Amino acid sequence: MDRETAVPPVLSLSDEDLMARVARDDERAFAELVRRFQGRVTNLIGRVLNDRGCADDLAQETFVRVFVHRRNYRQGSKFSTWLFTIAANLAKNEIRRRVRRRNWFSLDALQEMFSDGLAQLADPTEGRESLLEREQLQEAIGRCIATIPEKYRVALVLRDIEGLSYEEIAEVLGVPGGTVRSRINRARGMLKRKLQPLLRRSGTP
Amino acid sequence: MNCHDAHRLFGGCWDDELTQAERDWLERHLAACARCRVEYDELARTLELAGSLPRIEPDAELVERVLARTRRATVAPDRVTLARPMGAWLATAAAGLAITGLLLAPWRPWLQAPHALPHAAAVMAQLTPVRQPELRHPVMAARSGAGHERVAAADTLFDHSEDVEMVLDPVVLRMHNGRASVVRSTTPAVHGEQAVISF
Repeated sequence: MDRETAVPPVLSLSDEDLMARVARDDERAFAELVRRFQGRVTNLIGRVLNDRGCADDLAQETFVRVFVHRRNYRQGSKFSTWLFTIAANLAKNEIRRRVRRRNWFSLDALQEMFSDGLAQLADPTEGRESLLEREQLQEAIGRCIATIPEKYRVALVLRDIEGLSYEEIAEVLGVPGGTVRSRINRARGMLKRKLQPLLRRSGTP
Repeated sequence: MNCHDAHRLFGGCWDDELTQAERDWLERHLAACARCRVEYDELARTLELAGSLPRIEPDAELVERVLARTRRATVAPDRVTLARPMGAWLATAAAGLAITGLLLAPWRPWLQAPHALPHAAAVMAQLTPVRQPELRHPVMAARSGAGHERVAAADTLFDHSEDVEMVLDPVVLRMHNGRASVVRSTTPAVHGEQAVISF
């Protein structure tokens, strides 16, 4: 038999078709799924936790769980939703574990960071652009997101960073669509209030 | 409608989910209300910044590390795994019954003839935990002070590092006032039963 026909291509397959092959222990299909989604999963977990190192570990764990539970995947359902459900649950578990161990970014540290930023802004000897670069603002946003309560935070990251639809988020979180909208609105309000001092000082908008 | 209504529409406006009528009303309100305009601009700026956060890139070796872990997961496990939780309970119950059987084996004559109990000496096993590694090595086995030679069982693919062997040394018990007491140990020539419990 020709090798080309013995090893079917995986690049052109949909996520769901690849997952069907994974359920039949096709390692090439699994590797392709990991390649496709490693960026989104790492970013989702990393933004929820604001922790790059932990994002790598949990992204790895997410894919291992996909493989271990490959036969539990419901054919016909959207693969990315199932994947994000696993990733979001792992991130939520990590948040809870950190809260239990009280090993988390403290409010004091956040206030200290803000006061540093505000002090720099208040320095009249330096130009505005050099004081608060967009990079610093993004760093502050990452930290602010990490201080939002878990159930609002995960919804916010899924919507405003990963760009999932409300319906997909409802499925990932296992809550009604109205609850998702409510959580995202509250999360946005919380984030805006946390960033308000920086935004007003930096002259934006 | 008022500022409160305007705030309720902010999220839908950002998501572009408002009806044309709602959008027209909100635009008119924002044009007239400076406070709401600042609020909406701040929200929009916040969400624009959140959406433009740099992506956290995965580790370059993530794919390989995941595949390495899943390959290990698909290799035959080094321990016997039971297909269903019910199997674990059954196995535990079976192990318990086996140990109970071993313990009660010497009492079998008494169990069959209970009327002879007050006059009969019963033999019972006394449990002496011995670490398995000692039994695997003849030198160690000799140091253990056993009265007879113990032959180490052939090792298997399984990890026996946490195994505990229970050597059941026979002793003679005598019943007195309904209570059993050890009278003497049996001679070294009497071989006891062995059972290995894996954890």
